[in-house]
Amino acid sequence: MPIRVEKLSYSYQAGTPMEHKALEDVSLEITDGSYTAVIGHTGSGKSTLMQHLNGLLKPTEGFLEINGRQITPETQNKELGDLRKEVGFVFQFPEAQLFEETVKKDIAFAPKNFGKSDEEAEAIAVRMAKMVDLPDEVLDKSPFELSGGQMRRVAIAGILAMEPKILVLDEPTAGLDPMGRLEMMRLFSRLHKNGMTIILVTHQMNDVADYADHALVLEHGRLIADTTPKALFSKPEWLREHHLDLPQTTKFAEKLMASGMKFDSLPLTKKELAQILADRIKGGSADE
Amino acid sequence: MNKLLLGRYVNGDSLVHRMDARSKLVLSFYFVAIIFLCNNWQTYLLLTAFVLMCVKFSDLGIGFFIKGVKPLLGLIVFTVLLQVFFTRGGHVYWSFGPLSLTHFGIVNGFYVFCRFVLIIFMSTLLTLTTAPLEISDAIESLLKPLKAIKVPVYEISLMLSIALRFVPTLMDETEKIMNAQRSRGVNFSEGTLMQRIKAVIPLLIPLFVSSFNRAEELATAMEARGYRGGEGRTKYRVQVWTKIDTIAVILFAIVTILLFILRKF
Repeated sequence: MPIRVEKLSYSYQAGTPMEHKALEDVSLEITDGSYTAVIGHTGSGKSTLMQHLNGLLKPTEGFLEINGRQITPETQNKELGDLRKEVGFVFQFPEAQLFEETVKKDIAFAPKNFGKSDEEAEAIAVRMAKMVDLPDEVLDKSPFELSGGQMRRVAIAGILAMEPKILVLDEPTAGLDPMGRLEMMRLFSRLHKNGMTIILVTHQMNDVADYADHALVLEHGRLIADTTPKALFSKPEWLREHHLDLPQTTKFAEKLMASGMKFDSLPLTKKELAQILADRIKGGSADE
Repeated sequence: MNKLLLGRYVNGDSLVHRMDARSKLVLSFYFVAIIFLCNNWQTYLLLTAFVLMCVKFSDLGIGFFIKGVKPLLGLIVFTVLLQVFFTRGGHVYWSFGPLSLTHFGIVNGFYVFCRFVLIIFMSTLLTLTTAPLEISDAIESLLKPLKAIKVPVYEISLMLSIALRFVPTLMDETEKIMNAQRSRGVNFSEGTLMQRIKAVIPLLIPLFVSSFNRAEELATAMEARGYRGGEGRTKYRVQVWTKIDTIAVILFAIVTILLFILRKF
């Protein structure tokens, strides 16, 4: 189910003196099964754009189409319920949404809201807990007894339990330790391989390079780039101009280039860089 | 929720803005008292003119004040209708059972309406021109005499400041959690009464949890910076009584005298 956004604009407090335009004339497309990274500074409109995707906000102008369902400024709130089931939204610090007595009940909350029976919902909860690598024994504990990382997993499982086709992640690894971060990113990668469309809002350029196949850059409410990570990171000057960082690997390759090494194209991931370097070393030793 | 008047302070440098928060607070209460001196149209006219003059001195558009009346419109209409239909006396225009529309009723209803609007305008003037923290400082300063009878004045004012400070934070938090639960299929605005009450639980529990966490963090942060309670603590915002305050007090005194004269008519 592709997503198409057409000339979307959104203003906060429209029609008052405090009116503030958060998005202006944004058009884009996200294909099925893609892994899209959304990049931009704080206040660039990323979160506002994401909240349109599951109907929490409605455009002030323009429209968006998700799986053939159109959302225009006139759409009634009632029609948005089904959309929320299809588009799972993991908010920043999602552990703030936990409230149930047990982990199992909390994960089962969303499917129950969308009409599953108690038994079905609990079966889903057990399955989702496994998917996010939660040990079985925590299922009957209170979510407030868990560690921060585990709470985050419970919250994400609670969203996955709706079995959405599109998953929107708003900085899902913020505040996690490096190990927890890596495991989390691997989980999303696994979901992506199983056919889920992933949309990741992030400040981590390494994650963009390592996982995404589509990159969107927002600045002051406008979409300034709609491209692949490869193309994006091959223009370091442009990125610097917009105060965005490069992935570590690309930075390293840039330094190598400055000291005289030549690359056909700047490598994105550690694997690519290692491959190129290994080839060079082999090639070099063959010459000697 | 952002229509809430509390904390709707509008920055400015008008005469009213520059007044001492204590005199503004006391005079606002005083105004509520003298409005009960009004008993005829001359007195109401005088007070209306006086309030409009104060509004003028604040350099704020009248729109801000009318917005302040809106949330209370239901209450005003209800009270006015009670007055109109249950006051007896004078010429009877219409009557049905216990209800009757009389001359006195209509006049009284009109007076009650004026009284409400004038009081709201005056208190809106206070909240629009005085930052919440100034108000809580003013309360502390005014309650100081109560220290003699062991009222924890400083603590009360600290609680008040913290509460005021966290109103916007809590509102943001509420919005965030509501969005998260909406994404999980909760519908806050539809369904039977029972369903709606149930829908509030997934909102309230996370809010309580985060409020407690926040309170604990705040306490730690305060202690880490050497907070030890009110004893010997100096103030960043110093309150000074100026000429403007004296003039304001004199103006209120003149209005009071005029009211006493006019109510005899």
